Amino acid sequence: MGSPVLWGTILAAVLCVFPSRRARADDTPLTQLPDVHAFVSQGFMLSSKNNYLTRSRRGSFEFTEVGLNLTKAITDDLSVGMQLFMRDLGPIGNYKPQFDWFYLDYHFRDWLGLRAGRTKLPFGLYNDQSDIDSARVPVLLPQSVYPTTSRDFLLAQTGFELYGYEPLPFIGALDYRFYGGTIYLDSTSLNAPGTTVTDIDVPYVAGTRVLWHAPSPLDGLTAGASLQLLRIDLDLLLSPDEVAGLKQAGVVPPDFGDTFKYKLPAFLWVGSVEYAAHDLLLAAEYSRWRYDYKIRPEVVPDGNITSTRWYVMGSYRVAPWFSPGVYYAFFNTGAKGPDTRDKYQQDFAVSNRYDLTPNWLLKLEGHYMRGTAGLSSALNSNLPLGELARDWTVFMVKTTAFF
Amino acid sequence: MFGRAQDTHLASRAPRRRARRRAAVSLVAALALGVLSPAFASDPPPDFRVITHPSRPESSVKREFLADALLKNITHWPDDESIRPVDQRADSAARRHFSETILRRSVQAVKTYWQQRIFSGRGVPPPELDSDDAVVHYVEAHPGALGYISGNVPIGKTKVLAVSP
Repeated sequence: MGSPVLWGTILAAVLCVFPSRRARADDTPLTQLPDVHAFVSQGFMLSSKNNYLTRSRRGSFEFTEVGLNLTKAITDDLSVGMQLFMRDLGPIGNYKPQFDWFYLDYHFRDWLGLRAGRTKLPFGLYNDQSDIDSARVPVLLPQSVYPTTSRDFLLAQTGFELYGYEPLPFIGALDYRFYGGTIYLDSTSLNAPGTTVTDIDVPYVAGTRVLWHAPSPLDGLTAGASLQLLRIDLDLLLSPDEVAGLKQAGVVPPDFGDTFKYKLPAFLWVGSVEYAAHDLLLAAEYSRWRYDYKIRPEVVPDGNITSTRWYVMGSYRVAPWFSPGVYYAFFNTGAKGPDTRDKYQQDFAVSNRYDLTPNWLLKLEGHYMRGTAGLSSALNSNLPLGELARDWTVFMVKTTAFF
Repeated sequence: MFGRAQDTHLASRAPRRRARRRAAVSLVAALALGVLSPAFASDPPPDFRVITHPSRPESSVKREFLADALLKNITHWPDDESIRPVDQRADSAARRHFSETILRRSVQAVKTYWQQRIFSGRGVPPPELDSDDAVVHYVEAHPGALGYISGNVPIGKTKVLAVSP
């Protein structure tokens, strides 16, 4: 209970100290109050046959997100900001508040700005917005490209970022970001029965995203690419029972201690295209993620695996209060062998977003799934993914208030 | 003498008659043209006008520059002065027209754009003021300010910018 109490105290204190910003005619950056924004989301998830993200077969309310941020311009070109975030999604989050992002930002020119701190990773069109329920129609972004279970790996990095926006004569504008740093990972979130992550380190993460915004008359058309390189090193401690079992099976040598050392360099890229004009949004992205793996002692030969991920998505604001949307997402793990159900997942989703007031929304969403590659064994009685039901469905309700 | 005076009187009335005739002809022509061609009728006020601080040297801006400035993709004028964009309430008619015409997105879509920016730490929207008068006062008081108001309201000391495609 300590974390929720701490979180509530912080929230209440900040809201009391900083009233919402109102512009006045004599405002200057320093005299303006900080911008304060927040959101609170609560969802419910119900699935057939398999548990998805949480224990959803019986129906689960473990689907909560809260965020609170402050942004303050110190001068026209220098600003600072931070966001506190907590969530609970099945085994993930558990209401532990954390700094989602924080930065100092110096804007030299429109074509060159510098950010230092913890900044969201610009990977694809929507990775840096994946927590922002109010900024999209679907409850879940296509999980093939934006897996919420990998949020810790993909959401933010701590280091530096260079960014800029440059209008180009006759051919639109370029929006670019380059970053480098490290990723903070909570080792406890990776523990599994019989194994404990005793050390985890990301020596580097670096990448770029370049988006091209088309000129008139193609306003709203955006195309681009993102690249990301990172390496994860981790030590995995096995329980005595696990070690004994592996020795008995001859998987590890007799002199094996109790720890595997992993090095996991990865290279991710995604190509993106979006058309967003008036009330219409169309988007498609194609991505491949390559992981190399080295495990010591060498119980499996060094190798690599490349997964394929893509989706197409559309939504239309029929009325100011109602926006339906639909997407199809595909994920293939790239694992060698026959094309069994645990190697892929297809997701056909239909979403309805209702804006009940300008600051409160409700979403209903249904998914028809084929394949089990995006599921967790731990949430499904530790059964191998290949033994779970191939065809299954998920229904979600989520409401979010924000300002 | 009387006759001279009458002549003088008649002579002085002749230009007035000519002036009245010209005015009548002009009125008839104007009415006729007005009926035949709406372009000659009095134009309705525009849906919105773009205004800036009177110290700005520009007399016009491109639509794309204006859109980038209001969406804060561009934050400086060509001479490097900071742009201080100012917006109107989401339910104002001027904002609806401005959003569809200049930003080419609905007001709701623009609000979604700002939700993305706010919660990903990429920036905050321009201040939203409650009325055209408030926008005029803001723009008057802030060098580099850029805003828009309804087409039929006084612009105060601000400067109207033409918008080119």
